[in-house]
Amino acid sequence: MKKSILILLLGCLLGGAGFSGFYYFGTADCRWMMNEPQPELAWLKKEFKLSDAEFARISQLHAAYMPQCAVRCQHIGAQNQKLRELFAQSTNVTPEIQALLTERAKTRADCEAEMMKHFLEVSRTMPPEEGKRYLAWVEEQTFLHGRGMGERHRSEKAGQTPDEHHM
Amino acid sequence: MNPNPGPENDESLRKVLRQWAVDAPLPPRFQEQVWRRIARAEAKPEQGFWTNLAKQVEALVPRPRFALAYLSVFLVLGVTAGAVAAQLKTSKLDSELSQRYVQSIDPYKADTAHR
Repeated sequence: MKKSILILLLGCLLGGAGFSGFYYFGTADCRWMMNEPQPELAWLKKEFKLSDAEFARISQLHAAYMPQCAVRCQHIGAQNQKLRELFAQSTNVTPEIQALLTERAKTRADCEAEMMKHFLEVSRTMPPEEGKRYLAWVEEQTFLHGRGMGERHRSEKAGQTPDEHHM
Repeated sequence: MNPNPGPENDESLRKVLRQWAVDAPLPPRFQEQVWRRIARAEAKPEQGFWTNLAKQVEALVPRPRFALAYLSVFLVLGVTAGAVAAQLKTSKLDSELSQRYVQSIDPYKADTAHR
């Protein structure tokens, strides 16, 4: 009986050791990324196979971009807030609302232009193939993708629902 | 055919039986198997499920082939489960960090995330 119990326990130990070993080595990248000061940038390094020099340069670009981005975010947020207040008080589009919409559109256009500049700078810092892949990825993930109205109206013209259009 | 042979036939049969010798070799571990059968036959029929299971395990597990197969299966299961769990965790973290990166550079995404 002792021998049987020993063999059964050994099986459990082997299974546990196999699980732990593969899990530990399989998640080594995760631990490395989470231990970095900016895990999202560490992810960028891993995903786009950046060298240390490229990563250092992209980290600098990111650090330079972030404060400007924060200012623009605050500006857009303030404009949105003001627009909500004006909209709540008005029954039609006043000249003040019209001016704010124009100003907001200008701020958004500036913001988008800065974003595009940043994406292009980052992509130029990467190896060419990875740079292309990065641009395709940010295009898919950010405002550049333009999901919504354009596709919706194309679908309506073709007599399809947007879902059908994507199929 | 006479089903009840006389005493003289009985005597000759005894003689033949006394001279009869088995020279065929016994199968390997014959005695052990006989004792095992006897033990099994003497075992009380009201034994519970767990007792039976324990006995079966006790009989099966020490066999080298079974033990090797059992250990191999557990090792393969552990390794596969570990690899799958690591893959799931990595994919989840990759997805989270990629979204964090997008939110850090795209004010519209950041705005959506903060709502």
